[in-house]
Amino acid sequence: MMSRRLLLKLAMLACCTLTLSGCWDNRDINHRSLPVVMGISREDSKYKVFLDIPQTSDDGTRSMLVTRTGQTITEVVDEISSNMETRVDLLHLKVIIFERKYAEEGLIDSISSFMRSREISAKAMVAICDEDLGTFFSKLQKNSSSDQTVLYNFFEKNAGWSPSVAVTRTWEIFRSIHSYTRDIAIPLIKSGKSTVIENVGAAIIREGRMVGQITADETLLMNAFDEESAHGKIEVMNHASVLIVSNSMKHHVALKDGDPYMRSQINLKVSVLETRGEPSVDMIKDELETLLTQRFNKMFKNIQRHEADILGVGQYFRTRIPRNKLAHWRTEYLPRLKIDLDVKTTIQNEGNLKTVRDASIK
Amino acid sequence: MMDKSLQVVLVHILIHIGLIFFIFPTNIIDTTTAAHWIPILLGFLFHWILISLYTKGLSLFESQNLLDIYIQFSKPVAVIFLLPLFIYTFMVTSVTIRAYAETISLVFLSDTPLWAIMLLTLLISGYITSLGVQALFRTGMLMALIFFPLIAFVLCMSFQNVDWHYIFPLWNRHFSFLTNPDYLESSFAFFGGFMYLGFIQPKVLFKRKKIIWGSLLLLPFFLMAVYIPLLTFGEETASQYHFPFIVAVDTIDITWLMFDRITMFFLLCTVTFVMLFTALTAWINVEILRRCIPKSIRTSYIVIGLSLLTFIMGINIPDWRDVELLFGLNAWMRLYVYLTIPSSIFILGWISRRKEAAAA
Repeated sequence: MMSRRLLLKLAMLACCTLTLSGCWDNRDINHRSLPVVMGISREDSKYKVFLDIPQTSDDGTRSMLVTRTGQTITEVVDEISSNMETRVDLLHLKVIIFERKYAEEGLIDSISSFMRSREISAKAMVAICDEDLGTFFSKLQKNSSSDQTVLYNFFEKNAGWSPSVAVTRTWEIFRSIHSYTRDIAIPLIKSGKSTVIENVGAAIIREGRMVGQITADETLLMNAFDEESAHGKIEVMNHASVLIVSNSMKHHVALKDGDPYMRSQINLKVSVLETRGEPSVDMIKDELETLLTQRFNKMFKNIQRHEADILGVGQYFRTRIPRNKLAHWRTEYLPRLKIDLDVKTTIQNEGNLKTVRDASIK
Repeated sequence: MMDKSLQVVLVHILIHIGLIFFIFPTNIIDTTTAAHWIPILLGFLFHWILISLYTKGLSLFESQNLLDIYIQFSKPVAVIFLLPLFIYTFMVTSVTIRAYAETISLVFLSDTPLWAIMLLTLLISGYITSLGVQALFRTGMLMALIFFPLIAFVLCMSFQNVDWHYIFPLWNRHFSFLTNPDYLESSFAFFGGFMYLGFIQPKVLFKRKKIIWGSLLLLPFFLMAVYIPLLTFGEETASQYHFPFIVAVDTIDITWLMFDRITMFFLLCTVTFVMLFTALTAWINVEILRRCIPKSIRTSYIVIGLSLLTFIMGINIPDWRDVELLFGLNAWMRLYVYLTIPSSIFILGWISRRKEAAAA
């Protein structure tokens, strides 16, 4: 009697293992296509979607480019899926590229639907392509037959990323669409002549629409302002080139007669790499400081003209301005903002060679 | 008998973690536009006061059951207080099972039908219920050992994308959240889950002081559940999500970890806590029912019957709007149940003490 009940229990327990797979309508990995890159452009109020799908064959992995147009992005993906022998799964989508023309029309709908979707990761990186997406993808395919994760590696912090490239994720764009005081810059790329990808700079996005652009050098300053590490970036000036070893920021904000005022100090530690002629340390310092200040002021004017707070300066005023007024930060406060940037450089070392310390000795 | 305070405190924390991280953040974010710590602290204060009052009242009866206490006064008293509790608890189990099945399918099991998810969760929680309350508390202990490190890891990592500037403004002059129906709904997490304290004695003994101080450990979880999405996205964006905390965890990017989405771990841990919660609430109902029906009926049949009813109710809720509507209805029941039972127990305890003193 006892043993029969035990047997029954064991049988029940064995049945429990059936549920362990936890899957319903499960598709094995060889029946799935997992695109890494998705490109989206818009033609005559229809979406054109490019999917870059890695495929394994006997001689290594190759990537396959699939294109289709349709009313919605999901419809296109679905159609591609039904025309292929495998199912397209966007779970591992790493990079989403928009064509510049579409970005200028506005990305709100696409970004919202990506956030709504349970397939596309909120961490997927976003870029804007400065040329026709069709040519971009065909060049990308031609040049990168061996490795189809080039685009992903280009943005990955521990791979090919450099501080003059902006990194923007889907959720950050979604945040910038709704936030009162934070806009965002999206990296701007195109296919390069000798390298696969060329960094053009970054697009200024205001409420989901591309309104302008900044250069790659200005992107570096923006990253430094956000205290993203600008580590390892080389700055070339008239008399020398230096390597930025570390950077930090200090901000002081105030409201003067209702006008926002900000004093920022950027501390750079650099080391000298190359010199031309015989500049002194002080000369290099002065030159670097004026160069960066000028560059920053130019970028900031650009930002103010477009009323897009890509530096997130408004964040520092959250304590000073009441919430109902903060909602108009971009239009009412940002254009009137006065900003004083103070670049403080410390030359940490001069490499293996001695450099003249003071100009008077020379 | 052994003091099982540690088990009770752990289960108390676990079931609340299960309740805090899903619907609670969006409720609080919807109640007010700034200074979210005020509604959180106020709600938590309520939670704490009610627990103190409830356990104080219970301690006056020296490890007696809520059922024994009410019946000892009179049958009508028992009906007045326990019938609403029964209805409330039944509703809460069904709606919780339904809501969490929806969450699971939203986040990772998108192809699995809802009834299958509900059936699985109900099977497990029903099984725990049928084993009795001591087994339930031991399970809680095991869960805490296995899942706490994971939860702690995810919570630490969730500060990755935080922008502290979003914490401002820190003060809000308008206390309009008090009249907001969403705030009433958020009471689900504040005092949705401690009624079991009145039923577990004398089977599981606990010390009142330890429970009261132990429940203070919940405050950081309440704050984190709301503030992590707020600081990651800002109020204006966080209010767009159904499950702000889950999306905030989704944004975490850890390059050295081999798993892409740690949301999965977090969700699976908390879902097991929710199973514990539904098992515990179902157990309360089983205890109440056992008093009402003939002794000859076996407990396991009651459990099966109740689970079946819960399942039927769960699959008959068609969409998320109905879930929210039921949550709203439930909130009013909860307000009644959680205000009357602790205070009545306290008053009855005081009366019986007076009587004893008079008799002596």
